[in-house]
Amino acid sequence: MGHGRRIPLSPMPNDFETLETLGGEDEVSLLEILDHVLNSGVVIHGSLVISLAGVDLVYLGLNVVLTSVETALSNLQIEEKRSLK
Amino acid sequence: MSRILVYCGFRQSPELVLPTLGVNAAPVQLRSLDDLSLLWSEVDWPFDPQRMQRSAVEFHEVVQQVFKQTAVIPFRLLSVLDDLPAFTAFATANRERFLQDLNRLKDFVQMECVIYPAPSQTPIDRSSGKAYLEQKAVALRSSEGLAQAVQDSVAHLSREVRVREGKNGTRIFVLVERGRENDFRQAVTTIPIPTHLSRRVSGPWPAAEFLSEQVKIPQMDGAAKAK
Repeated sequence: MGHGRRIPLSPMPNDFETLETLGGEDEVSLLEILDHVLNSGVVIHGSLVISLAGVDLVYLGLNVVLTSVETALSNLQIEEKRSLK
Repeated sequence: MSRILVYCGFRQSPELVLPTLGVNAAPVQLRSLDDLSLLWSEVDWPFDPQRMQRSAVEFHEVVQQVFKQTAVIPFRLLSVLDDLPAFTAFATANRERFLQDLNRLKDFVQMECVIYPAPSQTPIDRSSGKAYLEQKAVALRSSEGLAQAVQDSVAHLSREVRVREGKNGTRIFVLVERGRENDFRQAVTTIPIPTHLSRRVSGPWPAAEFLSEQVKIPQMDGAAKAK
């Protein structure tokens, strides 16, 4: 996911720029954290429903979720810009 | 609407200091089934997309606090259970498998090395299709060579290695004995790398890549369908 679109929600460092967490002992990039918490570990079997803007989006895999959420968020931003015009 | 968000599983021990606050400042709670403990929070669902990054960091910090003290089985952030009965059924159905993996991985952490093309080091040869493909082939061979060199350099440290090729490069996961993380870093960072490639080392992480398949995608017998 290293060079994918960023979820444009709050100030975010450049790809792989380090970010201090946990009392400054460990340096780890925000992208790495996102990658691990979304893509590594136990996935509870079954479909996963995420609601965005009142629309339930159903996904079957977490790899798909990340991409799709990014796309969905990007689309939401476009919609927001349109509505502001 | 609320859901049960599970952070991680681990073997309970009285010496462990557990986190108290989790995602979106939700209290972190402990559910124990014999030797297996699971940390969880009741969270508002769905997550607010506006604070997804923050939720990810908060989730990571809960898992990391436990992982610093003992082996954990991490869950994924966007994986939730309907309610407490579903959670209990899930934990009961999978307790034995979780404990087996925790036992197998108790002395290990996951270190990672990613090899990827250095940005803007080599201009793309667009003179012909053949030239472009040859350039790509050279880069691929070089990347494979470096990936092999990394694996060779940590062979004495690694219990197990997994390699995944992705569109952004080659990702090497190494199961390393806890406490030998610096040996891993030192071994990897002393390997010379070609100018057109970059290398990034990270860890220690929970050994998620080395979980058994039954734990990565556990059964849901008797549990309500996850949403």
